[in-house]
Amino acid sequence: MVEDNMPDKKTVLICCGTGCLANNSYEIYRELKKRVEAAGEDISVKPVLKTTGCNGLCEKGPVITILPEDIFYCKVKISDVDEIFEKTLLKGEIIERLLYLDIKTGKKVKSHKESEFFKRQKKIALRNIGQIDPANIEDYIQREGYRALKKALFEMSPDEIINEVEKSGLRGRGGAGFPTGYKWKQAKKINSFPKYVICNGDEGDPGAFMDRSVMEGDPHSIIEGMIIGAYAVGAQKGFVYIRDEYALAVKNVSRAIKDAYGRGFLGENILGSGFNLDIEIVRGGGAFVCGESTALMASIEGRVGEPRVKYIRSTEKGLWGQPTVLNNVETWANVPVIVDRGAKWFSSIGTEKSKGTKIFSLVGKVNNTGLIEVPMGVTLREIIFDIGGGIPGGKKFKAVQTGGPSGGCIPESLLDLPVDFDSLDKAGSMMGSGGMIVMDESTCMVEVARYYLKFLSEESCGKCTPCREGIRRMLEILEDICAGKGREEDIELLLELAETVREASLCGLGKTAPNPVLTTIKYFKDEYLAHIKEKRCPAGVCKELTSYRINQELCKRCGVCAKKCPAGAIFSKPKSPYVIDNNKCIVCGACREACRFNAIEVMGRREG
Amino acid sequence: MKIKIDGLECEANYGEYILEVAKRNGIHIPTLCHTDALPGQGSCRLCIVEVIEGGKNKVVVSCLYPVTNEIEVLTNSDKIRRMRKNIIRLLAARAPESEHIRKLKEEYKVPEEKRFNVDKGEKCILCGLCVRACEAVGVYAISSVNRGITKKISPPFEEPPEDCIGCGACAQVCPTGAIALKEFEGKRVIWDKTFELVKCSVCGNYFATCEQYEFLKQKYGLEAEEFLCDKCRKKSTAQKLIF
Repeated sequence: MVEDNMPDKKTVLICCGTGCLANNSYEIYRELKKRVEAAGEDISVKPVLKTTGCNGLCEKGPVITILPEDIFYCKVKISDVDEIFEKTLLKGEIIERLLYLDIKTGKKVKSHKESEFFKRQKKIALRNIGQIDPANIEDYIQREGYRALKKALFEMSPDEIINEVEKSGLRGRGGAGFPTGYKWKQAKKINSFPKYVICNGDEGDPGAFMDRSVMEGDPHSIIEGMIIGAYAVGAQKGFVYIRDEYALAVKNVSRAIKDAYGRGFLGENILGSGFNLDIEIVRGGGAFVCGESTALMASIEGRVGEPRVKYIRSTEKGLWGQPTVLNNVETWANVPVIVDRGAKWFSSIGTEKSKGTKIFSLVGKVNNTGLIEVPMGVTLREIIFDIGGGIPGGKKFKAVQTGGPSGGCIPESLLDLPVDFDSLDKAGSMMGSGGMIVMDESTCMVEVARYYLKFLSEESCGKCTPCREGIRRMLEILEDICAGKGREEDIELLLELAETVREASLCGLGKTAPNPVLTTIKYFKDEYLAHIKEKRCPAGVCKELTSYRINQELCKRCGVCAKKCPAGAIFSKPKSPYVIDNNKCIVCGACREACRFNAIEVMGRREG
Repeated sequence: MKIKIDGLECEANYGEYILEVAKRNGIHIPTLCHTDALPGQGSCRLCIVEVIEGGKNKVVVSCLYPVTNEIEVLTNSDKIRRMRKNIIRLLAARAPESEHIRKLKEEYKVPEEKRFNVDKGEKCILCGLCVRACEAVGVYAISSVNRGITKKISPPFEEPPEDCIGCGACAQVCPTGAIALKEFEGKRVIWDKTFELVKCSVCGNYFATCEQYEFLKQKYGLEAEEFLCDKCRKKSTAQKLIF
C-alpha cells in the first residue's frame, strides 16, 4: 500500500464527494480546467486535474489538494479559481485565506496532514479515497490496486486466503462484527453450488455515509475484495446491493465493474487463472430493513424485503437457498489490503478483539463534521474532541449516539470508552455500521429516543409482532411523555416492553430497536423524570413542557429577543428588562438563540 | 437424538422443529401463525421458548428452530411467560375484536388495556398466513402492503381483487377470523367481491364459486362431468373403492 504517493507531476485533486459536489465542486473543476486549457503552451508545467471521492472533511468543503506541494484548500468557491490558478498553480504561492484553520491549535495549516483532523486517523479502507479518480481504473492500479488479487490467484490457495483473513481478526463492518474469515470458512465448507458473494451497500442509518463514500470514491477496492472472497469460497456470481438513493455510487461502481471486465479482472478465466466471476449491481428497494442480510437477499430474489429467521445461516442457505457470503462495503474494501500486506500487519492495528480500523461518519453538534477512519480502540473523546474539534458554539457535550437508529446514546462519563465492538456493546450501544451523532446540551434525550423509535416504527418491516407492535407502543408512550402526558409507571412499562422486543423479535432490527430507549433511560433517567413528574423538559425542546422566562438580572435590555420573536410575545416597559407574555409565546426558541447574555431561561410547562 | 422439553425426555430427529417434537409428546405451545399446511411463518412469535445449549440460554421461536444438538427446552419459564403475556397484550391492543385473541388474553390473565390506544374494530394480527395461502393456491390476489406500523393486508389498490377466485383459503387459514366471508342466496362475498356459487350435483348444496371451479379445472386439467362437494366426493371415492 502506498501511503504517501506524491506524484512528481503537478496534480490538483478536487473533491467530488457528495458533500463537495453539492457545494459546486464540479463547477470548480470545470472552471479550473478551462483556465488550464486556455493557458495552453504558455505554462511550463501543465497540471493534471482530478476529481476524487470524499476527503472526509465535508464541513469544510469543497476541498482541493495541490500536489506535490500538498497544499490543502477548503471552502473553495468558484470565484477563487482565478486566484488559485494565478497564484498557487503558476507561482507556487499559498493563499492564506483558503487554508484550513486547526481549531485545536488556532493555526492555519498548509497541508491537511498537519491538521489534528487527519493526523490522528489511519486510513486502510479509505486508503485511496481523495487520492484517486474513482472513474479511472489506472489510478487504482497505480496505487497497487489488484496486486492482492494476483497474489491470491497465483500464490495462494483458497484455504490460505481464508486463513489469512481469519488470522487478521477482521470482523464484519456492517454492524454485528461477525468474524469474516470464519464466515468464509463456513461457506467454503458446504459442498453445494452455485455459491454467491454479496456486497451490502444498503446504508440506511440517518447521518451515515461511510459506505457511500467508499462506493463513490474507491469502487475498485470493493470489487477486488469481492473477487478474492469469491475465489476463496468458490463463488462465481456476485451482487453489489446499493441503496437506490445513492445515484453516484451506482454510477461509479457500474463504471468500475465495466472497467474490471475490460481489464480481465472479472468475467471468464480471470487473468488466465481459470477462475470465473460475474458481478452485477442490484439497486435497493428503498427500505431500511433491506440492509438486514436476509431481507436483502429476499430483495435480490425479487420478493418483499422481509427477513427470515437465521437459525440456519446464510453461509449454508442464503440467496436462493445456496451458500452465500454477505459482507459490508467496508469489510470488502479491507480484504485486498489484508491479502497484500498480511494478517500480521493488519492485526497489529486495533485492540485485542477488534482489529484494524473503522470508518465513522461524524455528524451532529461537532465542529469537523465528516468522514474519518481511526484504529479500533481510540476513545470517543479523541474522536469527538481531537479529530472532531469539539462542540461548536462553546456548548457542552451531552451524548454521542453510535450505531445508527438502533444504537445507543453514550453519556459524557463514558467518553474515555475505547471504540471497539465489545466496549460499545457493553455500554448498551453498538458499533453498528459507523454512524456517530454528537449531541450537545440543547438536546432532549427523551425526544432523541422518540425520534429514533419513530424512525424504526416506520422502517420495521412489520412482519413480527414484538417489533411492529412493541415499537409502536413504546413510541406511543414516548410521545405521551414528550407531550406532558407521561405517567409514573411508564418507565417501568418501557423497560418491560423493551425486553420483549429485544428478545422475541425476528431480526436484528427489532432485537436492537429498544437500544435508544434503554440507554437514555439508563444514562439520562433524570430527564425522563423531569418530563413525567415535574412536567418540564430540561433542554427546552419538548414544546408542551417548555416555557421561557427572561432573567431580569441578566437582561441588558438590548431588545434583540423582542426583534427576533415571530409571535410578538416579548415586550418591555421603559427602563425595565424585557418580559415574555406566555400566552403569546409559541416556544420557538428564537429569543434563546439570539440572546448573547444567556438571559433566556428554560422553565417547565407554562401555567394555566 | 434426545432432547429435554420442560424436563421431559423426548426423541427428536435431526433438523426437526421443536414445536413438532413438543406436539408429539403432548406438550402444548401456543401458536397463531403456524399451520401444518403452511409452516415456517414465524411472525406472531407466540411460540417462543427458551433453549439451553452449551450453558447458554436463548429465546427462539419453536416453530422454526431446528433441533441439531441435544438441547434443553423450556416452554413455560418465568421469562417466556412474561414475554408471551406481553406479546398477547400487544396483539390484543392491535386486534381487540378477535375472539381467539380474547381467549388467549383471559388464559394469560392479561388485564384490560388502560395504557395503549386500542385499535377499534380490528381483528387482523398481520401474521401473513392469508397471503401465503393465496400464493399456495397460485392466485396472488392479496398481499401485505406498506411496512412498519402502517402495514396491512390488502388486494391491489384496496379494490375488490380482480384475480381473486373466491376460494376462501385466506379466510379459512386466518387464525383470528379477520377475513369476512359471507354466503347467501347462492352468492359468496369476500374482499368486497361477489361470486356466484355452484351446487353439488349430488347433494345440491352450494360449495364453490364458479371462478374457483374454472381455476382448478384449468390448473389441474380436470375434465369435470359432475360438480361434487367435498363430502360427496369422499363418499363417491369410497364407494368406488369398495365396489
